[in-house]
Amino acid sequence: MFFMLPFIFVLKISLAEPIMAIPPYTALLEWGDSFFPSIRASLESYLFLFSDSLYIKAYLSSLKIAIISTILTLLIGYSIAYSVAKAPTRWRGVLLMLVILPFWTSFLIRVYAWIGILKTEGLLNLALMSIGIIDKPLIIMNTDLAVYIGIVYSYLPFMILPLYANLEKMDMSLLEAAADLGCRPFKTFWTVTIPLSMPGILAGCFLVFIPVMGEFVIPDLLGGTKTLMIGKVLWTEFFYNRDWPVASAVAIILLALLVVPIMLYQKSQEKAIS
Amino acid sequence: MSELPSVNPWLDPSQKPYIQIENVTKKFGDFTAIDNLNLDIYKNEFFSLLGPSGCGKTTLLRMLAGFEKVTNGRILLDGEDISEIPPHLRPINMMFQSYALFPHMTVEKNIAFGLKQDNLPPNEINQRVEEMLQLVELTDFAKRKPNQLSGGQSQRVALARSLAKRPKLLLLDEPLGALDKRLREQTQFELMDIQEKLEVTFVIVTHDQEEAMTVSSRIGVMDSGNLIQVATPTEIYEAPVNKDVADFIGDVNILRGIYKGQNDVGTQLHSDDSDSIVFATQEVGASTGDEMWFAIRPEKLEISKKKPTDQHNILNGRIEDIAYGGSFSTYHVRLDNGRILKAIRANRVRTEEHHLTWEDEVYLHWTPHSAVVLLS
Repeated sequence: MFFMLPFIFVLKISLAEPIMAIPPYTALLEWGDSFFPSIRASLESYLFLFSDSLYIKAYLSSLKIAIISTILTLLIGYSIAYSVAKAPTRWRGVLLMLVILPFWTSFLIRVYAWIGILKTEGLLNLALMSIGIIDKPLIIMNTDLAVYIGIVYSYLPFMILPLYANLEKMDMSLLEAAADLGCRPFKTFWTVTIPLSMPGILAGCFLVFIPVMGEFVIPDLLGGTKTLMIGKVLWTEFFYNRDWPVASAVAIILLALLVVPIMLYQKSQEKAIS
Repeated sequence: MSELPSVNPWLDPSQKPYIQIENVTKKFGDFTAIDNLNLDIYKNEFFSLLGPSGCGKTTLLRMLAGFEKVTNGRILLDGEDISEIPPHLRPINMMFQSYALFPHMTVEKNIAFGLKQDNLPPNEINQRVEEMLQLVELTDFAKRKPNQLSGGQSQRVALARSLAKRPKLLLLDEPLGALDKRLREQTQFELMDIQEKLEVTFVIVTHDQEEAMTVSSRIGVMDSGNLIQVATPTEIYEAPVNKDVADFIGDVNILRGIYKGQNDVGTQLHSDDSDSIVFATQEVGASTGDEMWFAIRPEKLEISKKKPTDQHNILNGRIEDIAYGGSFSTYHVRLDNGRILKAIRANRVRTEEHHLTWEDEVYLHWTPHSAVVLLS
């Protein structure tokens, strides 16, 4: 019940109308002449969202960025998790620590650090130009690419940890059995390792995809004005337009869109346990 | 024991061994797991590597499979050096101790896995899988997944899978370890039948000496990376090469003695445990005063309350413990000097006339043929 409270509040606000007041939305219950309060609710915020193409574009853009980020994070994260799982036992703790260590610093500061690396006169361009690989600085800051870099970097631990937990438990004798039966190492990876690490892959993908859909800070700091993500749209509605009902409606619809992935994630975890 | 041609191949100089392990050493860092080991195994043998934990038997098996690389030396299969060949290219299959069945595949697909790697046509694969399922009597279980199988069924699937490719050599790593006693005994005989029927050479690793004795054509007893003795089960049991082997296989009484000489019956020893001089029938090249041991299996010690008529090979003591085993009884006899010897006697008479009980004064007696003299 406790966890439902914020959701209920947001739902309530989404059904209200914006007014110049504090708080800037109408109350749900109004006491008038009759004994029982009347309920004042409206769906105008939701209708507004469907009428303006900006919002639909923003949802689709978020979906695209979330899917691509998840795939990139999976490719990089699987390689790292696999290497750590195959490393000698005494090194694994240290390697995992290195993966988790960045978590100990503030998320915001880490994103700012990327600004310092990716900007025109930043570390990356300085390094590449001094080696001589490029003579003009690369424009990465304020593009979609910077957003992808930021998201993959920030969400890698969420992908690596469930993958590692799964790979570490994998019975090595299964790989030996496959080799013994004539399976080449590369094929063993696809026919044995990947299917058996599916629970970890699914867990990692959902743990990245679901939050990235609503990600705000990274596209705001690293992305350009063209980078359209629903998190930014929500922020703009809330703080710039002071339209709490619309902002709340944006949030509710985002949650509705994520219900399906969340339920799929739950189901995949239950299957993994059984 | 499993049956082989009338002249055992290892005694026939014209026979070439199927597997030759030549001067093989295996080191893990500073630790030497296998120390300059030499072994020949012949075709259609059911060969057991037997020894305590850590003796190196599993390491040797894994080197045959290709999962461990040889540090020094080489391994030849049918004359060909396979030391550098990776496991997926060797014509050898292995049955793992943990069975290692692929949990995400059905029984059928598990068995078919090796055949698929060879790109055999589908109907041939199906036929072979059928054959294997019939061989291990699991035809009705084809569509089940490993987590729906019992321990015994999993073991059979593992066996079927490892034989599906009709390998010339099958390696088995403690295959019966996880089974209960009755199932284990039953499976031992089934394994022997299958091995003979399919004409496959089996090399099995086990720490269970009863199992090794039951199934093997020959046993290789290992300790600390070395082969101590390679012989048939009978030879290992009745003619162990040293005290360690004698002690490792079955029960044994080992007594110390001083060499006195040879006479027409055999070796003469003076024993610390009795005043009467003890004989054994082997000829031993040693000098007077040398220390040696003799080993007597409990079933060869005759126990009775009446003093035997022979002059030699007699010890006397008092029965301290009796273990009734139904078909036989084990008597722990304490000699005058405190040492305890074990004697086993079959309970051949239903109502015991020569009844022995605790605290009885008894004589232990054996024939000169019953003991083995050991130099180390």
